Amino acid sequence: MSLSFQPIKPLLQTGANKSSRWFSYIGLGIGVLLLLCSVQMFVNIQQLLKEGTIKKEGFDFISISKNITNETMGQPDKNLFSPTEIEDLKKQPFIEDVSPLISNEFRVKFSAGEVLPFSTDMFIESVDNSFIDTLPPSFTWQQGQQIVPVILSSDFFEIYNVFAPGQGLPQMSKETAMGIPVQIICYDPLNQEIKYIGKIAAFSDRIKSVLVPKNFLTWANQQYGNKTSVSSGRIYLKLKDVNNTDFIQYLKLHDFKIKKDATMLGENKLLLQGIFSSLGIFGLLVVVLALLLFSFYLQLVIARSRESLELLLTLGYSPKWLGQKVSKQFVPVYIIIVVSALVVTQIIQYLFHQNIMYNRPELHTMVNWLVILIAFLLVLLSIITNHRLVKKLLNKLY
Amino acid sequence: MKLNIQNILPTYFEESRKATSQIWGKPLEIHPGEKVHIVAPSGTGKTSLIHFLYRLRTTYTGKISYDDILLNTASHEQLADLRKNNISIILQDMRLFGESTILQNLEIKRQLQPYHPPEKIIEMAKRLGVDHRLEQQAKNCSYGEQQRTAIIRALLQPFDILLMDEPFSHLDNINTQKAMELIVEEAAARNATILYAELEKSPTFPATQLLHL
Repeated sequence: MSLSFQPIKPLLQTGANKSSRWFSYIGLGIGVLLLLCSVQMFVNIQQLLKEGTIKKEGFDFISISKNITNETMGQPDKNLFSPTEIEDLKKQPFIEDVSPLISNEFRVKFSAGEVLPFSTDMFIESVDNSFIDTLPPSFTWQQGQQIVPVILSSDFFEIYNVFAPGQGLPQMSKETAMGIPVQIICYDPLNQEIKYIGKIAAFSDRIKSVLVPKNFLTWANQQYGNKTSVSSGRIYLKLKDVNNTDFIQYLKLHDFKIKKDATMLGENKLLLQGIFSSLGIFGLLVVVLALLLFSFYLQLVIARSRESLELLLTLGYSPKWLGQKVSKQFVPVYIIIVVSALVVTQIIQYLFHQNIMYNRPELHTMVNWLVILIAFLLVLLSIITNHRLVKKLLNKLY
Repeated sequence: MKLNIQNILPTYFEESRKATSQIWGKPLEIHPGEKVHIVAPSGTGKTSLIHFLYRLRTTYTGKISYDDILLNTASHEQLADLRKNNISIILQDMRLFGESTILQNLEIKRQLQPYHPPEKIIEMAKRLGVDHRLEQQAKNCSYGEQQRTAIIRALLQPFDILLMDEPFSHLDNINTQKAMELIVEEAAARNATILYAELEKSPTFPATQLLHL
């Protein structure tokens, strides 16, 4: 028959100072919740702003163009970037990557077809995918494909909504706009119409343009354009630091004009990461404080049960067995606290994903595995610190 | 199990005590089955000696060992093991769980290393006349009843050595006689050594060795 803790249990005066115990439980719960939520939010930011989605980590993205002056007006060779200039840009150590913005070399018209009485001459551009902040997986095109995905500048869309009522056109939300197919009418050198169906796949805060997949525009320029080489008036640069003095000097030297598009997101990411890191550290501190408070409570329990525990040791009870049994009393409490915090974190993540982020595909409704791992480690940490403390206190009774 | 005592003396005793004592400062070897009666007046260190032998205190110089286990350096787990399997004790101050019943007090000891079945508790309680108090909280029992409970508790475990510090101080002669018979009987069944410290020589204890402290 194994040794039972049942007759020993009443000898431990755990009822003492209930408020202190509950304070430590609540404190631990709040601390764990703060920590788990911070980690989850940190993960969310990473997922939202990671490479290929919205923001390239730690880089500034800017576009440059040439200064058009009265002297250079009407001379495209002076106002466009030559392949030599692009190569030179790539060689600069402060520039991480270069992508020229390719424009259409043929006439393009956009029409809403029969859905809306809207039709306009338009321009389309393309840039390397790695430069696009909101790159949906659907932003691809293959030769022969009738549907062409489009990434529209959020600013352009806003402008549409401003002038739409005056033109008798309906104002619309981004979601609706994404559902309306647009006719992209391309004109070949003989002015013949070739129709494609454009679908807005995403909106970009960074690039003020109407973007189509690069391979489509390259192909279309060859098919419908009448120029042999394609030059670019705008170049997108990926930089570690837009304020690098060498870079600024380089721009001045070559008389390039800078267009700072979207460094704001990068700054926001740093700010958000800072906030959630601080929140995480604060949560960790609360966890440590709660564990400390709980250790005081445990010391109090052992101090009040000192006589009984001493007598049990005198009778021959093993301090190891006794320590395990005493500390095990609190294991379910720790598990309940951490699991509850995990459930609340899951609810918050669900609401965040569904109601605030509108099911963005970069995010997940479920909490990240890292959060679950941290919750597990916290339970382990609580159990180990608790067990070590009880063992230490019991050994002091000899 | 052999008990070996080497030149021990409480740190709070003068060296001169060694001259008049048969235990302090002397080498002593006690073999299995021996019944050692330690007789000494108050203040000569009976309780100290029993406490040292059970390692309730370590305020002494010299060495105490059980077989090859040196008591001074034994780990807490080794000590717990010795107390569970080899050394039992009847303390003068009884040391019961006051809030627990007599039966619970006895069961807490018995379950640790069940040498006897639970029925044996009732049987022993009947022999010592405390069976009617089994469901009473220990704090509500008389010293005599508590002392008899402490005696039964010590006999519920396996032991090679039984240490007794004035175990009958609260008992009348008839109850002392009954308790002594039970103790000797249980010790004999285990071929155990008894070390019995008392103020005066007991007429009921079948001592094989008499030592003055």
